[in-house]
Amino acid sequence: MNTYVCKYCRQPSDPSQPTCPLCGAPVDIRESVSDSGWIKQPPIKDMAKLQFGQSHCQIAGTTVPAAEFNLAHGEMVYFSHHVLLWADPATRLQNMSLRGGWKRMMAGLPMIMLEAHGPGHIALSDNHAGEVIALPLQHGQSIWVKEHRFLTATGNVRYDWNSNDVWYVTGTGDDRETHYPMGQFGDTFTAADRPGLLLLHAPGDAFVRDLRQGESLLVQPASLIYRDVSVRVHLHLEYPRNMGFSFWRSNWDYRNILIRLVGPGRVAVNSIFERPEGMESISNHSYATRRRW
Amino acid sequence: MTCGAPLDVRDKVSDSGWREAPRLRDMTEFRFSASTCQVEGELVPVAEIALDPRDGVYFEHHILLWKDESVPLTSMQTNGPRRTVMGGMPHIVTVASGPGRIAFSRDAPGELVVLPLHPGMELDVREHAFLLASHSINYSFVRIKGLVNLLHGGSGMFMDRFVTQQYPGLLMLHGNGNVLERTLRPGEKILVEPGGFLYKDSTVTMQAVQMPLKTGLFSRGLYLAEMTGPGRVGIQSMYHHHGSGE
Repeated sequence: MNTYVCKYCRQPSDPSQPTCPLCGAPVDIRESVSDSGWIKQPPIKDMAKLQFGQSHCQIAGTTVPAAEFNLAHGEMVYFSHHVLLWADPATRLQNMSLRGGWKRMMAGLPMIMLEAHGPGHIALSDNHAGEVIALPLQHGQSIWVKEHRFLTATGNVRYDWNSNDVWYVTGTGDDRETHYPMGQFGDTFTAADRPGLLLLHAPGDAFVRDLRQGESLLVQPASLIYRDVSVRVHLHLEYPRNMGFSFWRSNWDYRNILIRLVGPGRVAVNSIFERPEGMESISNHSYATRRRW
Repeated sequence: MTCGAPLDVRDKVSDSGWREAPRLRDMTEFRFSASTCQVEGELVPVAEIALDPRDGVYFEHHILLWKDESVPLTSMQTNGPRRTVMGGMPHIVTVASGPGRIAFSRDAPGELVVLPLHPGMELDVREHAFLLASHSINYSFVRIKGLVNLLHGGSGMFMDRFVTQQYPGLLMLHGNGNVLERTLRPGEKILVEPGGFLYKDSTVTMQAVQMPLKTGLFSRGLYLAEMTGPGRVGIQSMYHHHGSGE
């Protein structure tokens, strides 16, 4: 009986292969763990193959890797149209409808996705230097993914999107503006009736950490790639003690906007992300913890 | 050695026939004509050329990284000032002549593609993708024909064309992300995101085709570039998506 569990995708896997056939992580490398417990997600080896159903996916390249699919008859993947790199003319492409098109458009999310049906070949790539992360999902397993990190998923993975409920408001009157530091909406993927495969693209390097029950961690909102749905999230505001030459400014304007993640569960961050902008006073916000130094 | 490709690594070819451009190792050195080129760095590689007095290279002026003071620069007029106005391309390319050292880089993570051209070859390159070419290669450009190709092809208005006559030459490109190449048989077709197109043999035809797919609330019709063989096609994995602006 096979008892080997891949350290990265957490699924029973095959140690006799050079890479995990489910997530592409190298089998023969030592885990790279920082003192604080972050595990470096190893890049998928060039030309590594991932198996799903009767189809497979091959990862080509290391700077901006492309995921090349050999789709079997009756199997399909879906994706946003802007990640399509090339396709065989034989691959059948069609639209996949999504609920709430107007809201998605207003939130800057792709409104329409494409489905590619086998048999045929198709390749997808994002346009940032970074890594492809493969997350095999067991039957019934769900995972939350930050917006714009999704590359593709197999047909049996259900896609939902919901409000993140992490926001704050700056300004008053006509200058009033609502900010969503980790995006207005988040994607949730669930393997519906059988195991499925989810591919994400993370700009820069990716790091994974397991939070124990009740353990909390503060991270930059835009750096989050994915988390188990058991991990809770809310806004956290930190106000450094005001010293030095800027004493004339309001003590409460200068702040750090972070999110607090509370375990149990797995979280992943990437090393390239946008910082929250502006230093205006916050007039309203979603549920948040605060720390004034 | 004429292209700097490592000889001790296996060709990386995907199941569908795309071959990865060989990743040049840091400080790889190779010769062309009587000059040498050394590639430095791997994330945003730099090509450093030690020019022999008999040699020269030409390039778009904004990719020059540094040069010896003694290296003379001259300008080479291309045959199309309209290109500046209409196509947003420089109609003057700069020529550096030996002896001396000069270095070039583009400003995006990616790969240098070294293409030694034999006599009698013709290669079409996406605009703004060429890094440098040796002086023995003729440089021109071809206007992308057809209104559909122009509006929806995503490759701009022009393609650079590099032609060798009786002498070989060296052409270097910068591909964003990873670069993959595939050789198409006569009549074989492949659909490519237009922004991903990097280079092709002039024997390969390129035509924008509209797919019956919605891409937005009010927009319909995803355009892809249909490439038809025979010949080589090179693509890059990081690109500006022409349809969505992403």
